[in-house]
Amino acid sequence: MRTKRWAPYALIAPTLLLMAVFLVYPIASVVHYSLQRYNVTQPWKNGFIGLENFRVMLTEDPLFWQSLVFSAKWVVVEVGLQLLLGLVLALIVNETFIGRGLARAMVFSPWAVSGVLTTGIWILLYNPSTGIFQQLAEWGIGSPGTSVLGDPATVFPATVVTELWRGVPFFAILLLADLQSIPNDLYEAAAVDGAGRWRRFISVTLPHLKDAIILSTLLRAVWEFNNVDLIYTLTGGGPANQTTTLPLYVARKAVDSHDFGYGSALTVAGFVILLFFSILYLRLSKFGSRA
Amino acid sequence: MRALLVVLALVLSACSSGGGSGKTTIVFWDNNGGPGRTPIYEELIKRFEAANPDIDVEYVGIPSSSVQQKYDTAIAGGSTPDVGGVTTSYLAHLVGQEALVALDDRVEGSALKGKLLPSLVETVRQTAPDGKLYSVPSSGNMDVIWYRTDWFTQAGITPPKTWDELVAAAQRLTDPAANRYGYTIRGGAGSVFQLLTEAYSYSGVAEFFSGGKSTVGDARNAELVGKIAALYKKATPEADVNNSYTQMVAQFTGGSVGMMHHNLGSYGDVTKALGDRVAALPLPVGPSGKRTVVPNPTDGFAVFKNSENQDAAWKFVEFLTSKESNSYWNEKVGQIPANTEVRDAAWIASNQPVKMALGVLEDPATVTVPAPVYLPQYSSITKTDSEPQYQKVLLGELTPQAFLDEMASKLTAAQKEWEERR
Repeated sequence: MRTKRWAPYALIAPTLLLMAVFLVYPIASVVHYSLQRYNVTQPWKNGFIGLENFRVMLTEDPLFWQSLVFSAKWVVVEVGLQLLLGLVLALIVNETFIGRGLARAMVFSPWAVSGVLTTGIWILLYNPSTGIFQQLAEWGIGSPGTSVLGDPATVFPATVVTELWRGVPFFAILLLADLQSIPNDLYEAAAVDGAGRWRRFISVTLPHLKDAIILSTLLRAVWEFNNVDLIYTLTGGGPANQTTTLPLYVARKAVDSHDFGYGSALTVAGFVILLFFSILYLRLSKFGSRA
Repeated sequence: MRALLVVLALVLSACSSGGGSGKTTIVFWDNNGGPGRTPIYEELIKRFEAANPDIDVEYVGIPSSSVQQKYDTAIAGGSTPDVGGVTTSYLAHLVGQEALVALDDRVEGSALKGKLLPSLVETVRQTAPDGKLYSVPSSGNMDVIWYRTDWFTQAGITPPKTWDELVAAAQRLTDPAANRYGYTIRGGAGSVFQLLTEAYSYSGVAEFFSGGKSTVGDARNAELVGKIAALYKKATPEADVNNSYTQMVAQFTGGSVGMMHHNLGSYGDVTKALGDRVAALPLPVGPSGKRTVVPNPTDGFAVFKNSENQDAAWKFVEFLTSKESNSYWNEKVGQIPANTEVRDAAWIASNQPVKMALGVLEDPATVTVPAPVYLPQYSSITKTDSEPQYQKVLLGELTPQAFLDEMASKLTAAQKEWEERR
């Protein structure tokens, strides 16, 4: 009788402990710092200031709103395009054709490249005097010295393409794995019923992929929202803050200005936004309710 | 009595350096570690250890881009080195955290007394709120225009003496079809630091603050910013708006740019790539003809408060700034030696950039305008806040005057706060 009472607690204790160490403590400490003035360049001013950081953030900091809007645009465009292209690639490499193994390997390889290396590759490709645009200019397309990362009109698409290159394989891998779990009899039955290719895709493939799509888009949306490495190394958030996402702004405030209190407040804002949208998204999409 | 004191001092110093048993190890952080400088320090450390067999120096090379963060972390965690390379751009920040030892008495009682370039000592002192010497200066640096001598000869024009001549030369040397641009602008990380030195060299304004108000917004400063911004994309590569040091120098050494504003710190990079096709000019002057120089951050060595071997640490600092070491170091990196005994060294006469810079600094007509790097918010205002704004100026989204006024009002507020605290 006695063992029964503590045994369940003992069994979940390791999980709780790990969660406390790796989740509760870091989050609590960020929330704690967000209520402080904490700037190592002016230690004499440090101390509790209540919600002052949040007041400044919401009412006096245009860059907060600007970076938030950019983050939203970035997430929607990136996740949307990655899903679309990832699905197309997954469907292609799911077919049987000669050289499929090689095609699959090539589709997945960018995923193995780190963000900083991806940037390295694309900075060379975009280099105004040696990259693709110089080559195009030599063929008479565009003008020499075009810097796509320096022009506010082109910096967004150029950054999007770079991240697409790395992100599409993620969707392709996940969706391909799920595609392969669809029983072939379903397609055969549909074919017997006279369903064409498109009808089979809409009525068999897509419903089957629903959960995989919801989960992968959610995961990817969170990652893209928090993307720092690629944008930081590619554009540094510029020119003129044109590509500054919220986490990049946090990095600038906390790392460059040493303003950890305000940086923490920005982080808390990002955390709350992501939490809210994740819950809303899972509710609306009825995730896991495939009966 | 005196003999007794000496004996006592000897006993004490013996105790503090590990009781005389075995070797003392001191940790030295190089604030600009890399393939260029690390070998120079390795050689100097070898010489030091040979002369001081009881002291071991452990070298740690830290890239300059992350050194301030490393120091912050070390101070917070109590793991600071014994000796560290520091520049005046973050010296105030370290002093504010009470991490360093004032070295005035040490210098007074050593062979360095009276041997350090007064202007550099003054720059270091001005950085600290209490005016003490928290780092022994080792090198002076100066902003220069690096230019391609061969391009100028080809075009048949003489190197510019005024900013208007520089603008004209930049336009003259530009030929986008041939991938040639007369000038390059640093538009990315580190941009505003350079821009301010350009603005003051043009305006001739001799003080950063006048009656407590920042002079950054002076109309003549704005005029210069406007002139530079007008060159963007016309006589400079379009990519310049994102240029940090690396990209800027790559364009210059890669042969697509005719003139570049940086400082003597890029001596190694540019001479290695371009040999005798490159030379240095002082920053041009403006219509007033006055030469006003915003001094570059001064490099030096600091002893950390947490060090348990401060005597050994000082010995190392003294060694690094001695005539011989200081000469060796500055010859290798192409900077202005802080030790005045090095002035007559043979290498200086044959080093055009250093000789030119010394000439400017020694000229009695030169006015130095120290930037307020002692302000805790200085880096935050001029980097985090202002660099993206300067990009807006280059892209034509913000006027030079509005840009400078915004920065000036922040600097004025920070200066006021600093005065009150002092």
